[in-house]
Amino acid sequence: MKVLVELKDKNISEYKNIDGIILGLEDYSVFNSVTYTKEEIKDITNKYSDLDIFIKIDKNIFNSEINELKEILTYLSKLNITGIFFYDLALLQIKKDLNLDINLVWSQTHMVTNYRTCNYYNEKGVEYALLSKEITLDEIIEISTKSTIKTIVEVFSKPTVGFSRRKLVTNYNHDIGVSGSKELEVLEKVSNDTYLVKEEDAGTGFILNKILNGTSVIKTLYENNVDYILLREVEGIDFKEFVNDTKDYIDNNCLDDNYISKYKKLGDSTGFFFKKTIYRVKK
Amino acid sequence: MRKIELLSPAGDLERLKVTLSYGADAVYIGGEKLGLRANATNFSIDEIKEGCDFAHKLGKKVYLTLNIVFHNEDMDGVEEYIKEVVDAGIDAFIVSDPFIISHIKKNYPNVEVHLSTQNSTTNYETVEYFKNEGIDRVVLARELSKEEIKEIIDKTHVDIEVFIHGAMCTCFSGRCALSNYVTNRDANRGGCAQVCRFSFINGDNKEFTMATKDMNMARYISDLIDIGVVSLKVEGRMRSLYYLATVIGTYRKIIDDYYNNNLTEEKLNTYEQRLARVANREVSSHYFLKEADYTDQYYTGRNEASNQDYLGQVISYDKENKLLKIYERNYFKLHDKVELFTPLGSIVEFSVEKLYNEDMEELDVARHPDSIYYLYLDTDIKIDEYSMIRLIEKSDYNVL
Repeated sequence: MKVLVELKDKNISEYKNIDGIILGLEDYSVFNSVTYTKEEIKDITNKYSDLDIFIKIDKNIFNSEINELKEILTYLSKLNITGIFFYDLALLQIKKDLNLDINLVWSQTHMVTNYRTCNYYNEKGVEYALLSKEITLDEIIEISTKSTIKTIVEVFSKPTVGFSRRKLVTNYNHDIGVSGSKELEVLEKVSNDTYLVKEEDAGTGFILNKILNGTSVIKTLYENNVDYILLREVEGIDFKEFVNDTKDYIDNNCLDDNYISKYKKLGDSTGFFFKKTIYRVKK
Repeated sequence: MRKIELLSPAGDLERLKVTLSYGADAVYIGGEKLGLRANATNFSIDEIKEGCDFAHKLGKKVYLTLNIVFHNEDMDGVEEYIKEVVDAGIDAFIVSDPFIISHIKKNYPNVEVHLSTQNSTTNYETVEYFKNEGIDRVVLARELSKEEIKEIIDKTHVDIEVFIHGAMCTCFSGRCALSNYVTNRDANRGGCAQVCRFSFINGDNKEFTMATKDMNMARYISDLIDIGVVSLKVEGRMRSLYYLATVIGTYRKIIDDYYNNNLTEEKLNTYEQRLARVANREVSSHYFLKEADYTDQYYTGRNEASNQDYLGQVISYDKENKLLKIYERNYFKLHDKVELFTPLGSIVEFSVEKLYNEDMEELDVARHPDSIYYLYLDTDIKIDEYSMIRLIEKSDYNVL
């Protein structure tokens, strides 16, 4: 099982002990602290040829972006890239139309939830699936076991929970007569959780301001042949040390319980790994 | 020229019958599982069959939503369920999962599959992808402009359906799990708690909301017909009979008037006023003409009005004694100005001059919802089943 990271800055060289990295593509990725131009991506693929390099193209695509997207995908197809994360199926269609030699990662956030649809995409030439964060560990294991697709499981992050095309912070600021920041931290009164409302060019995203700490499930994922775990950098912790320790933990067959004890301090939220959502509230 | 379809929600059999009577060309319904309104009444297989029979006799269609985001366990038995629904006579499935799409197209080539708006389809390449998968129709995302919709139609020649009326999500459909995180109710499996309508608190202890105004495209139906949209969809499988009768009846008029070249500005204003009377939020056309902005949202509280215009449903009309028998839903009194409207579009405005209870005792006020009342009305119009009464203007009559 490999360790894939997504960083908040461009200091890739400081990470000596990772298997792969996700790079956001300028203008085509959402929820990124940093993005890269296609030329920068080319440089990185040359410089870090031993890394699995994934590109994230996960915004909702509109007609006006299609031509440029075709050029970008053609450009990327000539680089040493492991895979491209996609949300919009336009990418799958363009890959097919242009017969591009690229591997794709099905990354439709909250929709990657069952093994049969994973298999469907695999048959369509999609190599990987980033599983949804809103399914249980048992469901993940079932997908990993029954699906032919290579699986990626996000185990550490501040979870992204929604994305709107609307400029929600700008609109709100306009209403209250202020200008400035494109970010807002808000408290949700029912759950008593806070969310970061972050506006970018493509729209506005919602990020739960609580760490998803799945360190305790890494061993199970490892034992069930999940292909990658994804660690997204979170501010306020020594992420380099955390990544190194996680990589060592996996390399030692997930036997070191001290790792689990050490990273309990990062919080006890295990997201939906052990919590099944409900959808019927009355008989 | 193919006439555009008016597609209505129907939460149960009665709503299905009412909305088809009021002019919908087709209805979309939810089965007892695998639809995105798990908490609506929803249809059993027998009810689906009855609904399809009713619709088909009128030359109309019934579509079933099968548009949840499937978890492993939801796949158990799905093939059998699809077969049961096909056997019940359904005309199309509304689906978001491409595995399910491929299963239906492979096994039931004569049954249509429509791509759900849950997929948030926003460009022509994605439509092209699903066209190659055999999809018969795509319900586009609600985030598109007129030009974007037209370009998709022109480039793909796939049948396109768009939403024209009702509530809007704040986020892209399918790209939101706020409900999962805040309430543990699964947004993409029919349990959405509409957290985007909740009130949040910002760092200055002020209220922050992101709720959207509702959609109302009455003024742009002609544009949608002109650019080649094939179906106009109204949101709201959990809406009331009165809401459906008013909204569907009004859009029926707009569409027919447009095709008959007599949709005047004056008529459009009347239709918009009629729609406004059943609205409980302000309305907007959102992305159709411009990028949605601060004018398309609410910023404090829920800003929703309750609506008490609906006075009751007509049970029968005794032409000889000129008495209208109604099942009352909201309080009204003598001399109130009211309007009787029928599924075929007739409207009679009158003042309540005589009012009786079920024992034919004369009254001056109808106080009790869910009770039977009689009103005096002298009219020659045909009063069909599912005709209704709404309030136009309250009188200043003082009830003792």
